[in-house]
Amino acid sequence: MREHRALNTILEPGGITPMYQPICFVSGNNAVLTGFECLSRGPKGTNFEPANVLFEYVRLKREEIVVDRACISAALANAPKGDVRLSVNVHASTLGRDRDFVDFLCDAAAKNGVATTSLTVEIVEHAPPWNSAGFADALRRLRVQSIRIALDDVGLGQSNFKMMLDVRPDYLKIDRYFVEACDHDDDRRAVIESLARLASHFGAQVVAEGVERIEVRDALQRFGLNLMQGYLFGMPLNAVDATLLTSSRGDDRASAESPLSFRAS
Amino acid sequence: MQINQVSDSAERVLIVDDEDLIVLAMRKYFEGLGYVVDAAFELEEAQALLANYEYDLVIADLRLTGIGGVEGLQIVSDVHQRCANTRIILLSAYGTPEIERESYNRGADAFLHKPKAMMEIAQIARVLLEQ
Repeated sequence: MREHRALNTILEPGGITPMYQPICFVSGNNAVLTGFECLSRGPKGTNFEPANVLFEYVRLKREEIVVDRACISAALANAPKGDVRLSVNVHASTLGRDRDFVDFLCDAAAKNGVATTSLTVEIVEHAPPWNSAGFADALRRLRVQSIRIALDDVGLGQSNFKMMLDVRPDYLKIDRYFVEACDHDDDRRAVIESLARLASHFGAQVVAEGVERIEVRDALQRFGLNLMQGYLFGMPLNAVDATLLTSSRGDDRASAESPLSFRAS
Repeated sequence: MQINQVSDSAERVLIVDDEDLIVLAMRKYFEGLGYVVDAAFELEEAQALLANYEYDLVIADLRLTGIGGVEGLQIVSDVHQRCANTRIILLSAYGTPEIERESYNRGADAFLHKPKAMMEIAQIARVLLEQ
């Protein structure tokens, strides 16, 4: 019987490897590091090393709570220190079902010297439904702690208009599906411009994911978007490289909104 | 088990069984024949792989969770829904005529009763892949 053996492997110390992908504020050719999205890889040498397999398995097993917690613990324990925002991914179902999640997150942040004010919770979800009362309560408690909220994969899965109204996010993250061809695909451009207007209405900022080409970077700026993430600005980094990137600011004492400049070209 | 790098020409096989030794033996045998082999031990592990990769052939045990399980039928349905070109062989030591009929209804290409020699499974696999 192998039931739960794979899950135990995932949850063993060192089972989850955190990675950190830069999120940048882009102006013209210049990109300024504003933070990292904390990503997770499963145990090395297993089927679960790729994140897409890992999280599909987790969803099928309905083990989002325990794995979300493990990913956050690993991410914060190794997180680059400094004036950068850290985005951690959390399933909506975890927020809805895990009544102690916000306390857990705050404790994990404090234990690792991460200010809650520098945290963003990125809500991901591909499967309905969840406990909406518990979900709303968790959102309220995150706000009390000044933790920002992002809606991931907007336009896909459960990240729909209802979710936007329920969450009132600080950030809308647009999936690469819409981003990667927006420089020459009028339909994708229309979707992005529409989301940008919607974000503006909610007082939210838009983050474009999957930016890999200069033409896309320039097109996004024409659409009014400046927060970007993708291989053009940096692949997911291990903890050491993410710390080096953060600390390479040297004596620059700029705020988290403008900590590091480099040319993204 | 690790996801294997796939060459352009090698056919990709997913083996699903909860018995370590069976998986080990089948993996070695099919790799020896030139296939790229992935393996899963649970229904959900197999489903997560099927959601992310395309396989030429799936060889699955009917029973993955002990007495009474028929998880293999779910795998047949998943494969049939995701990729019509993927061939699927179901193996069982407990298969009844009803279950065998149900597996074909769901889209299985072959239902084999255990024990079955590895060489025979491989020959059936080859025939299915060349159809």
